Amino acid sequence: MSVKQPSLYFLVLVLLAGVMVVVLGGGLFGQSGAWFLQWQHQAFADLCHQMPERSFWLGGQPMAVCSRCLGIYSGFLAGWILLPLAVFFNRVQAKSVKKILSVIVIINLVDILGNLFGLWQNTLVSRFILGGLATSSAAWLFTGSFFIVNDKHKGESYGAITTGTIK
Amino acid sequence: MEQLQPVQSSNASYWTSVTVASFLFGIITFAISLLSNYAMINSEPTGSPFSPIQLIGILACLFGAFGGMLATWHYAKEYEVSIKLGKGALIGFLTGVGITIVTIILSQIWQIIDPDMVENMVDSTVASLEAMDLPSGQKQTLIDSTVQGIKSQQSIGTQLLWGIPINGILNLLTGMIGAKIFGKEEHTA
Repeated sequence: MSVKQPSLYFLVLVLLAGVMVVVLGGGLFGQSGAWFLQWQHQAFADLCHQMPERSFWLGGQPMAVCSRCLGIYSGFLAGWILLPLAVFFNRVQAKSVKKILSVIVIINLVDILGNLFGLWQNTLVSRFILGGLATSSAAWLFTGSFFIVNDKHKGESYGAITTGTIK
Repeated sequence: MEQLQPVQSSNASYWTSVTVASFLFGIITFAISLLSNYAMINSEPTGSPFSPIQLIGILACLFGAFGGMLATWHYAKEYEVSIKLGKGALIGFLTGVGITIVTIILSQIWQIIDPDMVENMVDSTVASLEAMDLPSGQKQTLIDSTVQGIKSQQSIGTQLLWGIPINGILNLLTGMIGAKIFGKEEHTA
């Protein structure tokens, strides 16, 4: 297996890991002040509603983003880490991943609207899973962009000297 | 007959796409934030620093992160070129920076239009905190730090400090996704 554009892959990996540390909120660092004033919450204030009842809690503090956003970030990070393994599933074509991604995004939208209009009640875990599925499949769009398997010919004629006419 | 040649990705400037996406997403992000602020100002005290009005945010959650995807879509559509992942990442990052700058400029302009907005937000939050069931000393400390926190959140320095890295990184990711989805298949050696 060889790596293409390793600097970009590792840059994104480091940035994603950094984002994950921030989204886990002040509880990770044992911060004790009012959570809505912590720098982690300020950092994501324009990107997430940060409602505590819709967020996981860590160390007595709500995380800096809601459960769906946490799923989105952690799903992308997990998918990105697993990208080297994705090359072994090289039958998975980009078109299939795009279709899967579209279906999961639509399911997320339906879930948001259904919950908003009171048709059903989603939970922290269901929102986390749906968000995570969307971005882990988005990460798999990059299958083959960073890691490629060096194909070796292993057919039954491998190594044999052929004398016949090639048709 | 003259035939149109596709522009090579290295020659085509991406600044138009970055500017268009930055303005569009900057304006919409600012509008959502404004809507949320006024909803908070006009809501009844809830006894919590967060009001149910912020459910508005559920629909807009992560909206600002998709500017990078729009920029790469625009770039791919405009020039019909392949977009390398690194270029998609760069376009996305610059769009994130652009969105932050547009949002800050608009919020500064809005402070001229409605100079009392921040004060009204502070008053509304303080009213909610006063409705909380806490010992008076602890409540006063919380109110003081909240007032200071809200005012610092509105400062240009704080908005730049958090806006550029966070918007930049998230739009960098969506820029790469956009390059993968909308860019023509690239053939690199």
